[in-house]
Amino acid sequence: MDKVLERCTDLVQDIGFAQVRAWKQQHPGRAAVAYFPVYAPVEIIHAAGMLPVCVSGAGDRLDVQYADARFGSFICSIIKTTTELALTGHLDPFDAFLFSSICDSARNLCWVLKRNFPDKYHDFIHLPQNPSSGATAEFLAAEYRRVMAELGGMSGRLIRDDDIAESIALYNRSRELIRELYRVRTHTPHRLAAWESYVLVRAGNFLPVEEHIAILEQALAWLPQRSCKSRDSIRIVVEGSFCEQPPLELIRLIEEAGCYIVEDDFTLGQRWFESDVATNGDPVQALAEAYVAQSVYSSVRHDFRKPRWDGLADKIRDTQADAVLFLIAKFCEPAYFDYVPFKQTVEAMCIPHLLLEFEEKLFTFDRVRTEVETFVESLVFD
Amino acid sequence: MRITAGVDVGSTQTKAVLLRENGDMKIIARALVDTGANVQKAADRAFRACCSDAGIDPREVGYVVGTGYGRYNISFGHSQMTEISCHAKGARFLCPGTRTVIDMGGQDAKAISVGENGEVLDFVMNDKCAAGTGRFLANAAEVMGISLDEIGPLSLQATRPVKIATVCTVFVESDILSYVAQGKKAEDILGGVHLAIAKRTLSLARRVNIEAVVTMTGGVARNTGMVKALETVLGSSIQVGADAHFMGAVGAALFAMEKLGQSFESTVWEGAHAASRRD
Amino acid sequence: MEKQRSEYRGTIHQRQKDMMMDWYAALDRAAGGQGPPTVSMMISGNCVELLEGFEAAPIYPEVNALQLAIRHQSLEPILAAEDIGYASDSCAYVKADMGCYIKGLTPTGGKIPTPTLILCNFVGCNTYLKWFEHVAKLTGAPLMVVDVPFMRNDEPSAADIQYVVRQLHEVVQRLEELTGRKFSYDRFQQAVACSARSEELWSQIKHLARSKPAPFDAYFDAITLMGPLYVYRARPEGVAFFEAALQELTAKRDAGQGVYDQEKFRLVIEGPPPYPHFRTFRDMFAKWKACTVASTYSTVGGLFEFGFRHDPERPFESVAMHMIAQNVTNRNYLQRYDQIRKYVEDWHADGVIIHFVKSCRLFSAGQGDMRDYFTRKLGVPTLYIESDLEDPRYFAEAQTRNRIDAYFESLEHAKTTQAMVGV
Repeated sequence: MDKVLERCTDLVQDIGFAQVRAWKQQHPGRAAVAYFPVYAPVEIIHAAGMLPVCVSGAGDRLDVQYADARFGSFICSIIKTTTELALTGHLDPFDAFLFSSICDSARNLCWVLKRNFPDKYHDFIHLPQNPSSGATAEFLAAEYRRVMAELGGMSGRLIRDDDIAESIALYNRSRELIRELYRVRTHTPHRLAAWESYVLVRAGNFLPVEEHIAILEQALAWLPQRSCKSRDSIRIVVEGSFCEQPPLELIRLIEEAGCYIVEDDFTLGQRWFESDVATNGDPVQALAEAYVAQSVYSSVRHDFRKPRWDGLADKIRDTQADAVLFLIAKFCEPAYFDYVPFKQTVEAMCIPHLLLEFEEKLFTFDRVRTEVETFVESLVFD
Repeated sequence: MRITAGVDVGSTQTKAVLLRENGDMKIIARALVDTGANVQKAADRAFRACCSDAGIDPREVGYVVGTGYGRYNISFGHSQMTEISCHAKGARFLCPGTRTVIDMGGQDAKAISVGENGEVLDFVMNDKCAAGTGRFLANAAEVMGISLDEIGPLSLQATRPVKIATVCTVFVESDILSYVAQGKKAEDILGGVHLAIAKRTLSLARRVNIEAVVTMTGGVARNTGMVKALETVLGSSIQVGADAHFMGAVGAALFAMEKLGQSFESTVWEGAHAASRRD
Repeated sequence: MEKQRSEYRGTIHQRQKDMMMDWYAALDRAAGGQGPPTVSMMISGNCVELLEGFEAAPIYPEVNALQLAIRHQSLEPILAAEDIGYASDSCAYVKADMGCYIKGLTPTGGKIPTPTLILCNFVGCNTYLKWFEHVAKLTGAPLMVVDVPFMRNDEPSAADIQYVVRQLHEVVQRLEELTGRKFSYDRFQQAVACSARSEELWSQIKHLARSKPAPFDAYFDAITLMGPLYVYRARPEGVAFFEAALQELTAKRDAGQGVYDQEKFRLVIEGPPPYPHFRTFRDMFAKWKACTVASTYSTVGGLFEFGFRHDPERPFESVAMHMIAQNVTNRNYLQRYDQIRKYVEDWHADGVIIHFVKSCRLFSAGQGDMRDYFTRKLGVPTLYIESDLEDPRYFAEAQTRNRIDAYFESLEHAKTTQAMVGV
């Protein structure tokens, strides 16, 4: 299992996308499609015979030398490192880039990259922000079909509905396995460290879903036999890391400082649907309707049928969390804004909370470690 | 023969230069004083020091251009130009072939794309924070308990420069202390600090076209470690003129020469009388 | 150097002020229970015509924020918002507005009612969504979103338009429930006709700035004059205002009257202005007798220079079209480059000023690339300056002045050189 975890860690940290290059070599003529967080209809990309890969910045592995000239100050790091990856050739293996309406900076990124790489296909999926409307599912289905036509044009073959239904079934399975993994973390967090579950899940951003399913099944089979001791840690929900990802070291550190992360929104796109997407009927319509009815709450999706702060409250109750850690990427506007009603909600619930801002690039963790340790101490020695 | 003066009033230091055109163009005097609290006095002192150095009467100076943040406070100045324009002009004159100027001063940093006649084609400034300025380095030196003059040469001895993520003057302190606590060598820490600043500065500079010849100006140019770090990150050599510190004043004096050429006026003017009366 | 002051102070300036004050007075009455139903909306891609079908009045939180900043009153509410957790690096417009709720402030001192409906017209700006969610949470007023598909292709698709139209009908239905009034299709149609007329006039006004000299500043003056565009364009008062404005400015143009005694430079400015330092900022350009002939920010309320008009024959569709394609925030970044380029070419500008504002990533994220496009691709002299639109703390006067002076020094030098070689 250690080997699997090592492999997943390497995948997550590889900004050369060796895995993608290898896949393209093994499948000549097939395209690799990069999508920016948070959610993309990966089933459609898969059904087109393409490899969907979530490109979310370069972590701490790249010096930004050229991207600063394109994006100024007060912009989150993931925008700049993604631009840097593009400008330094790291994204060459990708044939297409998909963005969606998560925030103002990411939206502009789509067009900046489009101008600088006019030979590649860039598209922007307008994921709906009004799920209360009777017109939304129909609109989204039409939007998906528009993208399908583009992808079909690239691959030279039409994407059949049956292909999509098959892809949905596969991704339903991977989501089910990820839900299971999170159940293990919530109920028996000592069995699986947060950083381990993190790399296992995030590896799916880079791997063909079939391979990812195999890894997840393997991990879940192995876990019950794992020998591990329970610790007296506080149970926390981590909220705010849905797009730019914190350094792996930081995730590790949080638990080492005395916490169990029993729920989080790391790589939320992988867990986007709370239950299976229907596989009968029109699959594109099914995907669209799932988006409207089954999406998790998220800082990048407006849904006032149930405000997302109520979703956070449920999350805290369901996982019996002791505290909330708001782990927000510096300059992440959606997270910054949500922090206010989130904070009000947890305070009304008398749940202690801590706000930590991070950047992808952190090399010294002393300050952060001290803050978390202090927080834990304040809860333990109440 | 014509003589002009350029006076560059910075927030910490004031520089003055005298330029003589007599068939050829030559700098005949330079002066550097601390600006202090009284900008007018500082400008005056620097100018008179130049005149006395060159052995000329202030009335012989035909035109004075002021530059720097204090440029509007030079009582004897004829006109003002921004230091951006002056640095471009000065750099092109002192280092022929200059197409890009990287200026790292005490308080700000800038990059200028320079045209064939020393004109400013494009420029970018960091005037919001201390990253890439003398202030940052002074701070780092203080945190490490090493003198400002030594940090450059010491950084050149780094074998394994540390990784510095932030260029915030305030936050880098804790990064440095962290590495000190980890037992990292001073030269490696300083190597990392210099590299981080070099990367940041070049990242800024890339907003304009970086084209050879690249000339460095400003007080930080005297830091050999910074020059080397910049060259390492850029991947090519960088010119540092002997008069790096005076680049702005030189450019101002050159503009003064141009103005004098455009509309020849009597070399006798009020300011000079006032200056000589104070002698 | 003699201090150049410039501002457009014709009768239309005062008239605009009066009209905006009337509007605030109507809101004050509404807050006291004697007014029409009110609907909170965002300026960009607003559907004020729809409100006319209910004789409802718009509330524009952005205008409140802007008014506060211009009156130097924005810092207090911003700090109050930061006290309860709003990040220092998030949009200060939102903070100023939320701070007003917390402190019970309004820009005029009069009251602003809790809206009958909070209508978030989501046109690109994701911050709009958050803003209105927070207002809804705080006031308890009902919230609806009109989700406007982003301009990801050159033209909106039929599916895009249909989606918006269907949502607009849902809004109508909801407003009938909330106001107890029946939607008047006739009034709506008349409102759309008024808008079309106002837009035609506004477009002609904008085109006046193509003359040399331009009779008004298309940034500083246009921003001051555009209030009626989103509050009154769908009403006869709005049409009358723009008729008078066009007349006044045309007379100036015909008389060869520019903003300065001599128009030395013509600019296109991109980005919102630093409202807390509006006057100071303007003077920095006045010093160089630089007149703005076109601006992107003045098209937030609608892009009408290039031919689009609301169509009373197809009222719902044309409202949808305006919301999707004819305002600057729902248009993609490259379309903005194109808009600026057209301005530089057709309005004969010498250069572009890119004003980066800390608060607004919609405008500002990627302006470095914009700058790269204009300087390297098109060879247009471009200046990049930074501050904020609402927060008075983020304005470095000396540094900004320095950059502006350096820019014009080089422009002036270039002009002098060109003159010398007879170009």
